[in-house]
Amino acid sequence: MRFEVETARQRRTIDVRRSGAGGWTVTVDGRPVSVDFSRAGDRWSMLLGGASYEVAIEPRRQGRRIVHVNGHVVPVTLRVPGRGRSGSHSDGPSATGPVSIVAPMPGRVVKVLVAPGDAVLAHQGLVVVEAMKMENELRAPRAGTVADVRVREGTPVDANAVLVVIT
Amino acid sequence: MRKILIANRGEIAVRVIRACRDLGLGSVAVFSECDRTARHVRMADEAVAIGGNAPSDSYLRIDRLIDAARSTGADAVHPGYGFLSENEDFATACRDAKLTFIGPAPEAVARVGSKTTARKIAASAGVPVVPGTEEPFGPDAADADIARAAERIGYPVLVKAVAGGGGKGMRVVTGATSLDSAVRLARSEAGSAFGDSSVYLECCVQRPRHVEIQILADHHGTVVPFVERECSIQRRHQKVFEESPSPAADPGLRARLADAAVAVAKAAGYTNAGTVEFLLDADGHFYFLEVNARLQVEHPVTEMVAGVDLVQWQIRIASGERLTLTPRETLTPTGHAIECRVYAEDPDAGFLPSPGRIVALRAPEGPGIRNDGWVEQGSEIPIFYDSLLSKVIAWGQDRPQATARLRRALDEYDIRGVRSTLPFSRWLLARPEFVEARFHTNILDELLQQRAGEPFDDLDPSIEEVAAMAACLAEASAAAAWPVSNELKGASSSLERSWTALARKEGLRR
Repeated sequence: MRFEVETARQRRTIDVRRSGAGGWTVTVDGRPVSVDFSRAGDRWSMLLGGASYEVAIEPRRQGRRIVHVNGHVVPVTLRVPGRGRSGSHSDGPSATGPVSIVAPMPGRVVKVLVAPGDAVLAHQGLVVVEAMKMENELRAPRAGTVADVRVREGTPVDANAVLVVIT
Repeated sequence: MRKILIANRGEIAVRVIRACRDLGLGSVAVFSECDRTARHVRMADEAVAIGGNAPSDSYLRIDRLIDAARSTGADAVHPGYGFLSENEDFATACRDAKLTFIGPAPEAVARVGSKTTARKIAASAGVPVVPGTEEPFGPDAADADIARAAERIGYPVLVKAVAGGGGKGMRVVTGATSLDSAVRLARSEAGSAFGDSSVYLECCVQRPRHVEIQILADHHGTVVPFVERECSIQRRHQKVFEESPSPAADPGLRARLADAAVAVAKAAGYTNAGTVEFLLDADGHFYFLEVNARLQVEHPVTEMVAGVDLVQWQIRIASGERLTLTPRETLTPTGHAIECRVYAEDPDAGFLPSPGRIVALRAPEGPGIRNDGWVEQGSEIPIFYDSLLSKVIAWGQDRPQATARLRRALDEYDIRGVRSTLPFSRWLLARPEFVEARFHTNILDELLQQRAGEPFDDLDPSIEEVAAMAACLAEASAAAAWPVSNELKGASSSLERSWTALARKEGLRR
């Protein structure tokens, strides 16, 4: 099987082929190596050129797999050529146009500091959300006018819920 | 005393249940809805539901806690830390219900619980205090009055909740323009956490170390101080690493700190376990900060170097026993201990809480390692409470050995499903500031600012390559092990879709 693999610093083409019990030939960008990759409970034991690695893989989330190697956490995106991308969809907020301020985590709205029509400065506090017993003030990413306030004080919010829209 | 109700959750509930077992006492757990199957519930002899997920609807409900103690026949209550542990009304309610409160008397809780009163007590006992406002600013105090007081003390100034603790309800203010918003946040945080939004101001001691003295005080007039703990490594006033003894203390300073702590405890009429906190400046002068009228998160480091079980002593003192420890034993440390708190937070996303389900967990073990935790594979980390997963405590003959063991333990620690602060802790342990113990309470915030958001896990490129290979191998292994036809795949995903749709509808109906 052939994969296009992306990690933080590099993109690689990796081809894996079975070569016996637990044994694989792995070709990374044209360089073939022998790997022993064996299941150990819910983890994997990987032997690569005499070096021993303990590997664990979290279920896929938004196309990304979190791979744990000897305690290090490595996000990895896999794509099988010709099968369409299973990668992450990162759509950053636009620099101009309306900006939505979203809840970074589930929590409860403690205070709404602005109302529709208010002019706000960059870094001005908009909403205070309490999560895990700490209050976090969410601030305006840039100056603008409050177009919409979509939450009320005292109500719970889900992660990524839109709280305030600034134009 | 036969049966103790533990008015708490998480790792500290587990810790107290263990002490009950060690002493042959019964244990009663309490739980909110989302904690129904939590570790402390399964571990205790009995368990009682006390309400909804919000702390104000369960772990802060004095009436329900007292009812739970009555209905189970518990004769004592251990409050743990946080929640109602330093609440005068709770201690009083226990006393009124003829329950032994495992902690100081309500009068002493009130005296030291008000930070402004505690400061007066310390000053009257001849212990130096940090300059600040003598009287608290109540909920109706005018912003202008607070601003005038801040000018008088001089910026930067600390806004602190009179009832505060654990860094909640506390803000540093560098200039007059940000005072109002800091006061507002501190008040609101303190109001929801402690039910009292009064604040006071304190001068910012420049680059102090945070040292503290654990004390035990029985009901017969004996107060025993322990070797100091240093807790200078803090992130936004929350302790992250704690150790004992302090690398900055010699036997002379230790004796002076211990004397001051005992003087404060005696002046406050304090009993049971408590901690007297001090700031230590670069010249070796110390200032009283506050008294924590409870067992602290970092109590295990003292247990490791003193060879005592503080929770057992809390219970024995509460049942009227006399302390048999002497300061000669308790002020001589055996080796060195360091504690690292592990939180469900993503250090690479500004330490944002990372609630969710633990899919796999392997806690560290081996020589010199103690892990006080509560989570297991399958545990859900709720969003309603503090995100502490566990505390790893390393003991060694000296600080270098303790540090090496802690590093080994954190490398062994495997948590999956939620992000944890482990990568950050590993990074910090390797910093020269930590190795050389060059500390002050702002050091961590300064180091974090310098980093400008680079990931904490500084990956070796070879590890990245191993991860890339492993992801492919796991995918190929799965494909080989379970050949699923496309038709079946389509069926299962459409089934999944209909379940999701149903779940949404159900959600709307409610």
